Amino acid sequence: MNKVCFKNINKDNPSSLATYEASGGYKVWRKILKGELSQGKILDELKTSGLRGRGGAGFPTGLKWSFMPRNQEGQKYVVCNSDEGEPGTCKDRDILRFNPHAVIEGMAIAGYVMKASVGYNYIRGEFMEPYYRFEEALNEAYGAGLLGEDINDSKITFNLYTHLGAGAYICGEETALLESIEGKKGQPRFKPPFPANVGLYGKPTTINNTESFASVPDILAKGGQWFADLGVPNSGGCKLFSVTGHVNNPANFEIPMGTPFSDLLEMAGGLREGRKLKAVIPGGSSTPVLPAKAALKMNMDYDSIDKAGSMLGAGSVIIMDDTTCMVKALTRLAHFYYDESCGQCTPCREGTGWIYRVLKRIMDGHGKNEDLDLLLSVQDKIIGNTICALGDAAAMPVESFIRHFRKEFEHYIKNGESMVAKDG
Amino acid sequence: MVDIEIEIDGKVVHGNSGESVISIADREGIEIPRFCYHKKLSVSANCRMCLIDIKGNPKPQPACSTLASAGMKLYTKNAKAKAAQKAVMEFLLINHPLDCPICDQGGECELQDVAMEYGSDVSVFNEGKRIVADKDIGALIHTDMTRCIHCTRCIRFGAEVAGIVEMGGTGRGEDLKIEPFLSEGIQSELSGNMIDVCPVGALTSKPFRFEVRSWQMNSIQSIARHDLVGSNIFTQTHKGKVKRVVARDNESVNETWISDRDRFSYQGLASEKRCLVPKIKVNNEWREASWQEALDFAVNGIKNNNSDGSKFGALTSKNATLEELYLLQKLTRGMGSDNLDYRSDFANPAAANILKSSISLAELEDIDHALIVGSHLRLEQPMINHRIRKATLNGASVSAINAQTFDSNYRISNNLLTAPQNTLATLSGVLKAVLNEASEKQPDYLNSVVVEQAHKDIADNLLNAENAVVILGEHVNGNPDSDGISQLVKDIAEASQAQTLNVSLTSNSLAAEQVGFRPVNGKNALEILASDLNSFVMFDIYPDFDCFNPESAIENLSRSDAFVVSLNSFEDDSVLKYSDVVLPIASFYETSGTHVNIDNISQSYSASVKSAGDSKPGWKVIKVLADLLEIQGFEFVDSCEVADEALSMTPSTSVARAKITGSEIPEISTVWQCAPYSVDALVRHSSSLQETQIGQINVASVSKATAKLLKLSEGDLFKGVPVNINNSVAEGCVFVHTYQPRKC
Amino acid sequence: MISDQAKKEIDIWVAKYPTGRQSSAVMEALKIVQAENGGSLTNDLIKAVADYLDMPRINAQEVATFYENYNHKPVGKHVIRFCHNISCMLNGADDLISYLETKLGVKTGEARKDGLVSVKKVECLGACVGAPMCQIGDKYFENLTEQRIDEILDGLK
Ligand SMILES: Cc1cc2nc3c(=O)[nH]c(=O)nc-3n(C[C@H](O)[C@H](O)[C@H](O)COP(=O)(O)O)c2cc1C
Ligand code: SF4
Ligand code: FES
Ligand code: FES
Repeated sequence: MNKVCFKNINKDNPSSLATYEASGGYKVWRKILKGELSQGKILDELKTSGLRGRGGAGFPTGLKWSFMPRNQEGQKYVVCNSDEGEPGTCKDRDILRFNPHAVIEGMAIAGYVMKASVGYNYIRGEFMEPYYRFEEALNEAYGAGLLGEDINDSKITFNLYTHLGAGAYICGEETALLESIEGKKGQPRFKPPFPANVGLYGKPTTINNTESFASVPDILAKGGQWFADLGVPNSGGCKLFSVTGHVNNPANFEIPMGTPFSDLLEMAGGLREGRKLKAVIPGGSSTPVLPAKAALKMNMDYDSIDKAGSMLGAGSVIIMDDTTCMVKALTRLAHFYYDESCGQCTPCREGTGWIYRVLKRIMDGHGKNEDLDLLLSVQDKIIGNTICALGDAAAMPVESFIRHFRKEFEHYIKNGESMVAKDG
Repeated sequence: MVDIEIEIDGKVVHGNSGESVISIADREGIEIPRFCYHKKLSVSANCRMCLIDIKGNPKPQPACSTLASAGMKLYTKNAKAKAAQKAVMEFLLINHPLDCPICDQGGECELQDVAMEYGSDVSVFNEGKRIVADKDIGALIHTDMTRCIHCTRCIRFGAEVAGIVEMGGTGRGEDLKIEPFLSEGIQSELSGNMIDVCPVGALTSKPFRFEVRSWQMNSIQSIARHDLVGSNIFTQTHKGKVKRVVARDNESVNETWISDRDRFSYQGLASEKRCLVPKIKVNNEWREASWQEALDFAVNGIKNNNSDGSKFGALTSKNATLEELYLLQKLTRGMGSDNLDYRSDFANPAAANILKSSISLAELEDIDHALIVGSHLRLEQPMINHRIRKATLNGASVSAINAQTFDSNYRISNNLLTAPQNTLATLSGVLKAVLNEASEKQPDYLNSVVVEQAHKDIADNLLNAENAVVILGEHVNGNPDSDGISQLVKDIAEASQAQTLNVSLTSNSLAAEQVGFRPVNGKNALEILASDLNSFVMFDIYPDFDCFNPESAIENLSRSDAFVVSLNSFEDDSVLKYSDVVLPIASFYETSGTHVNIDNISQSYSASVKSAGDSKPGWKVIKVLADLLEIQGFEFVDSCEVADEALSMTPSTSVARAKITGSEIPEISTVWQCAPYSVDALVRHSSSLQETQIGQINVASVSKATAKLLKLSEGDLFKGVPVNINNSVAEGCVFVHTYQPRKC
Repeated sequence: MISDQAKKEIDIWVAKYPTGRQSSAVMEALKIVQAENGGSLTNDLIKAVADYLDMPRINAQEVATFYENYNHKPVGKHVIRFCHNISCMLNGADDLISYLETKLGVKTGEARKDGLVSVKKVECLGACVGAPMCQIGDKYFENLTEQRIDEILDGLK
């Protein structure tokens, strides 16, 4: 446990440069500055490592980096996504608080690989403590001559800045995030063109999640194979899982990919006295909910969770015990997407409100028999038809909640109250 | 761009790689529903209505943002595409009012059309529709934002075409609201196009509101006549009245856009101030008369005061049609007179057409540099300015030699502030700099000219460009040095191998040039108005706006021995003051005619409606006058015959070189610019245009130092116009921009 | 309209972005003037920020109304932003919000009459392992209970 991003978490002063360097930090970066590590080699190691994007979509990081037209003239950018807004997700916050230098080093390496001399770390506006820690770390890094213009006469320039969000989940979507850095509303752009070609300020840009960047230095220090071996095939390395909800010891756990869910549940202290596991949302609110039975059979890696009928997403494991009213839980999620839709594209703007209102009506005791089919049809009309994945994210829970817990919804509609006596 | 083959619905079609699928489909006549896509705007892909199935793609994709690549197979109507389109349609309708019968857009609504085809009949939505509060965004555009479908065409139009970001989308999600900032409204001179681009009834024409239903109107092809472009329009009429004007596509003229001036001026037609019956002045008393009586009265008056025509003069406004200009010219010359002119607002009519335009509207988009001399181009010629803006979007730079820095919708990188009295010197400096750098021989008159760095900068801009244009604007008309200025502009363009664009001769001036409506040996406008001529025909002249020095013109024309026949569409006190007969004539859209635009294209139009009251088309009135004056050669049956004859004239092209000698240099001078919504009688009577910010322009701008010399302070009146002291004006001049009558 | 101090702070942000991209700083600029104005924005402030950053006013208005962190009505000196999303909800956020409302005598979305506090229900704040939680100013308060809330409220002056 806690081998990569969290390796210093239990040390004194985990976020300091000294702690980071004592555990081998900036070794890779210094090697690069000395001209001892080529871009091609780095890309190879990353590909070997099997590192997949930790922001939710799980796109192989090495491959993404290789898409950048790095030899194209002109400005290019590296952007870190620390917007962390997906309900149930709170791992990047801890990386920023406890291991900010790994993010800095990861971004600097990315800048070197893709010949981007400027980076921005987009931190959600509410994360003020992490922001201060990150800024502190930035100052240390600049102070130690690890960032800046022509660092140590290496001809390598990398300047890194923080951009703060201001409260919009959609800015976690990478192109909305770019718009936001440009000082605009966070409205996703249609793709293609992809950011690698037309990104920040119209320039080639690579965006990765905080955890993805923070994993890079160790991968390069210890080798891609080392990392890959931590996990299972197609899910290299270890990964942070935020276990929240009805568990005794909710926390972030950095565990090898492929760890059985039941082990993770145990690490989190298991369920409370006398409660039974009812459902699990394994990857953050946007991923389909799983009934206990399916969840207990899965392992924490991409393929296994996929097989179980959901997605690993950002690794945000929301545990619900038998006191949970699924109608209420879904209504709450529906409200979230309704609240957070950016509003530009029709199906999401209109559909999320529609879904929320129908659910709210059911909660208010005015449900109708046709409502469940209506909900299923509305979510079906959103899925796949929107500009960004928020639409899908809003739709998928609806389908899975109703599919797995239809009886509970029908009971609510019929009786105007929950089947579950009282939720936690 | 390479030609590629793709397949749409099983049909093999051709396109350019990188071209959007929707534009290929449009060209092939394959229908794909859409709302946010507009061929002249950037792609936003937000409405999702154009979703189609692309082979190999799990999700439906928008046709508007999908670029064609060779071998692509698309299905616009298969089950997957249809399902997506229907889904989007349903989402669009859940919060849209379904009261088309009372909507102003009813019958011409893209949403209504598409819904018929792609919507499902029953809506299962019953959660209560969204209602959006409206706000007043100005005199031209009415909003009904509950109907808005958030396609953002209006926002993109503003940002991309009008060039000022006024509309935006506030809030987010369902609360996304399309609106301008607070109560600032929409002020662009092209704002009305937002009405055309809005696919639904959210933005509609305010003056048109509640007038009639769209399907009750006739649409008649016509030409807008307020500027040098001659934008193509439809006049939409009902029961003999023009109810609305909308843009008609003509890529080489106005593309798809028209200016607000062209769109809303028609309102003036219904003004109460129209001249509806002939009037004659007998014993200093005005009374109405029959046409017969008035014509006899006019002809007798002219004849009595004229034996050989040498005492006859004719003036016309530059808004007259080609036919009117031709016939009045022919009448005047038939009278044996050469006293005729259309340049009554010029300080020095000697110059006028020294500078010919050498570049077409469409070509303007390809220039890489423009030098603007003496023009507030954006408000003078909105559609020409739009072409320059497009050039700047492609990287062109713009410099200017102007008396004031104007609000522009593109960057003017080099703005050389120059008072009118210094313009000649500045241009001489620029010419000398150009010739120096090109190591060309210099004419003697440049010997004593001092080249300053600023002149060199302008010269460099021109010489560094591969495809530059020099634009001469309206301000030159009020400058006594206008002939020298025009000559220098021409010389500079020649020496720097730049194109030329002369926008100083506006409206239908080029038609006047075509028919030779200016003296060869006789008197020009200034001379006519200061002369002892004793019989006049004044065609469509409103002296307070149209004469360089209204006061003296009115006084002279009011002499007791002067007999003045006026032809006007609108009542005017000054006209009544000096005239003996006022013959009511048709206004815009009430007569057939021809407009000659800056590309020298003659665009003919028929009358959209009958002329108001007893008024008659001007060309007919002139013809009858000529007949009654027994002048030969007026046997025309319709205006087409007149136009044919007019266009067969070969205007004299030889123009003598103007001498570059400055006139008397006043220490402080005035530039008087008529505000854009006051340039002719029709716009002056359009109440909605008058209500806009542009319509209300009324400011005499002056620098601090010059104000001090003139003992002016903020808010004082300068020639009746409120003074504003600011640093945008050249020293040594007052820049008056106003809707008010001209004061010399 | 914008104080010199605020301008200085805004300029620090402007310096992070490429020349001509000063409007990238609009989000922070709005926060800075909002903080100076006691926690909420006015139309005049939005206008002033837009003008200061030389960007269209409507674009500043768009930003000010798109993001949740801006307030357009006066707020209490301390704004308690209480998460009510899924993980917090599962851990009793709703009951705690009711407790807070009763205790303070305010409804969520409102400021208390004395201007000391307002309560706002917000979406997930990214601290779900500490659910239920809330944010006051720059600080997060996690693992909340009724007693913990009492202590926190006692500390607000
Ligand atoms: C609605 C939405 C919200 C997202 N929020 C986040 C987020 O908070 N953090 C994040 O890293 N990625 C988020 N993503 C995913 C990003 O778009 C993007 O895939 C990711 O930052 C790429 O980094 P990675 O490849 O390292 O995962 C979100 C995506 C969507 C559609
Ligand atoms: S899916 Fe929703 S959040 Fe994404 S672009 Fe469309 S409206 Fe915006
Ligand atoms: S027309 Fe293609 S998405 Fe709107
Ligand atoms: S759900 Fe409350 S902080 Fe995430």
